[in-house]
Amino acid sequence: MIEKNIVGQSVPKVDAFGKVTGQTRYAADLDIAGALHLKVLRSKVAHGLVKKIDTSRALKIPGVTAVFTHADIPGSNSYGIIVKDQPVLTNKVRFKGDAIALVAAEEESIAVKALDAIAVEIEELPPLFDIQAAMAAGAPAIHDNGNVLTVTKIKRGNVEAALDQAAAVVSRRYTTQRVEHGYIETEAGIAYMENDMLIIKAGTQNPHYDRRDAARVLGLPINKVRVIQTATGGGFGGKLDISVQCFLGLAALKLGRPVKIVYDRQESFVATAKRHPFIVDYTSVAAADGRLLAVKARIFGDTGAYASYGPATLTRAAVHATGPYEVPNVDLEAFCVYTNNSFSGAMRGFGTPQIAFVFESQMDLLARELKMSPLEIRRRNVLRPGSITATGQELTSSVGIAKTLEAAWARALEVMPGLGGDCR
Amino acid sequence: MAAFHLEMKVNGELVAVDIDPGMRLLDVLREVLHLTGTKEGCGEGECGACSVILDGELVDSCLVMAPQAYGKEVVTIEGVAALGQLHPLQEAFIEAGAVQCGFCTPGMILAAKVLLDHNPNPDRQEIARAISGNLCRCTGYSKIIKAVEIAASRIKAEAGAASD
Ligand code: FES
Ligand code: FES
Repeated sequence: MIEKNIVGQSVPKVDAFGKVTGQTRYAADLDIAGALHLKVLRSKVAHGLVKKIDTSRALKIPGVTAVFTHADIPGSNSYGIIVKDQPVLTNKVRFKGDAIALVAAEEESIAVKALDAIAVEIEELPPLFDIQAAMAAGAPAIHDNGNVLTVTKIKRGNVEAALDQAAAVVSRRYTTQRVEHGYIETEAGIAYMENDMLIIKAGTQNPHYDRRDAARVLGLPINKVRVIQTATGGGFGGKLDISVQCFLGLAALKLGRPVKIVYDRQESFVATAKRHPFIVDYTSVAAADGRLLAVKARIFGDTGAYASYGPATLTRAAVHATGPYEVPNVDLEAFCVYTNNSFSGAMRGFGTPQIAFVFESQMDLLARELKMSPLEIRRRNVLRPGSITATGQELTSSVGIAKTLEAAWARALEVMPGLGGDCR
Repeated sequence: MAAFHLEMKVNGELVAVDIDPGMRLLDVLREVLHLTGTKEGCGEGECGACSVILDGELVDSCLVMAPQAYGKEVVTIEGVAALGQLHPLQEAFIEAGAVQCGFCTPGMILAAKVLLDHNPNPDRQEIARAISGNLCRCTGYSKIIKAVEIAASRIKAEAGAASD
């Protein structure tokens, strides 16, 4: 038993041999005889109603097998991890890059030609590119239920009363940017029918969710769909959403032929999730000894055209809004807001990196205000066993931040001996 | 379009194929010769996933038109392990944990191989420069640099043992 235990041992990665020899097959490396190539027609405008799609010219091109639109979706034309708000092929455009039509052709170059031959009539609506415009009264609704998707509130103690005892108050607005995951492998996959079973093989982080959504949009029972994850060339949260899976399933099911799709880098950038850009209004309240008395924050996350993991990302941002610091009084609200930008979803840290930039900047500013070192103010506020978090959880063990802080400081002194002095 | 008769050496073997002259070397390797160890990450010379060795030099095969390889010698990741024996770089990449998703790995190993072929004693700076055209989004590079150091010292030790 003992000698089989690998915890604490350095073991070679199980799939490393195939990767260093080039034998590992990623989705785009899969070859399937007779496969049709798929390409997606994407919107060039950010907001509008699709009035008419004329595929007749595209269908006349030799080698074009089919062109699909929203009218061809056999099940419900909506998917999503948390909220089913994203269509496979849309009749309402919500961002530049929304999928409108899917072409299947004998060769990739023919499929590309067919995209140009599809005529789409769109009645444009005013696009909303920033959170405040989307939240403004009277803003056009991007989805039926309006542009504020979710609001997460965390309230504890009495922030107003804490303000009366404050020695220092720092209020600032912070903004963070949209980030693309940039995994080196773009999205790709193949699909085929095995008797009445639909098989989809794709690079993904979420095969079980993919299967559920593919079955939903195709109107199939879930046990008639298999999703097989191929070796995946990076994801970082960006391959948790549906990308190529439903396109593959739709074409393979309707045509009864194997199909293949590979996004190029531009399509991967345009069509898939990003890290949520945030706007944060944040107020920190501290006593003269540096102890945090209260935090008030309003967090606004731009989830773009679709929810993806937005509601969870904003909830996470609210839960982590006080960072690794003990704050007795909090008033936190986080808003997940639709805009006509590319949709935002999961990306490493899930809303926490954005808010960490905010609360750590605030600690530095508070330290300056109180003429205290940035290290010392953190020492006085870090969570310890016995601390109660902003959400009311009492921490009983495994609270490593105080130790980490001292270890980081010791290491900083080693590599930068000039530190110390006033900084302590 | 008239086909182009391409002759080149790939991983030590003579290859002769008739291709569309508009194809990139990357397409010929992947689609005609089925050497899919060479990856496409960007198609525009940014990521290095498509790196191969062309007459001893590292190139982005997405930026090489296939006819440009006429009469030349190409080494892809499939040609790095000699007779089923992993190259010291491949071993070191596994050992040092330099492989995560693995999508950059073939290009990285070839970039490192070109470096070590020219300079058996690189310092960290030189290793970093040699792989600067190859993007990795998973590892943070430090384990890749470590792997190249391990491989370099092994190759040296082996060469020393052989000449004793
Ligand atoms: S695919 Fe050639 S450099 Fe990225
Ligand atoms: S290991 Fe994933 S990109 Fe390098």
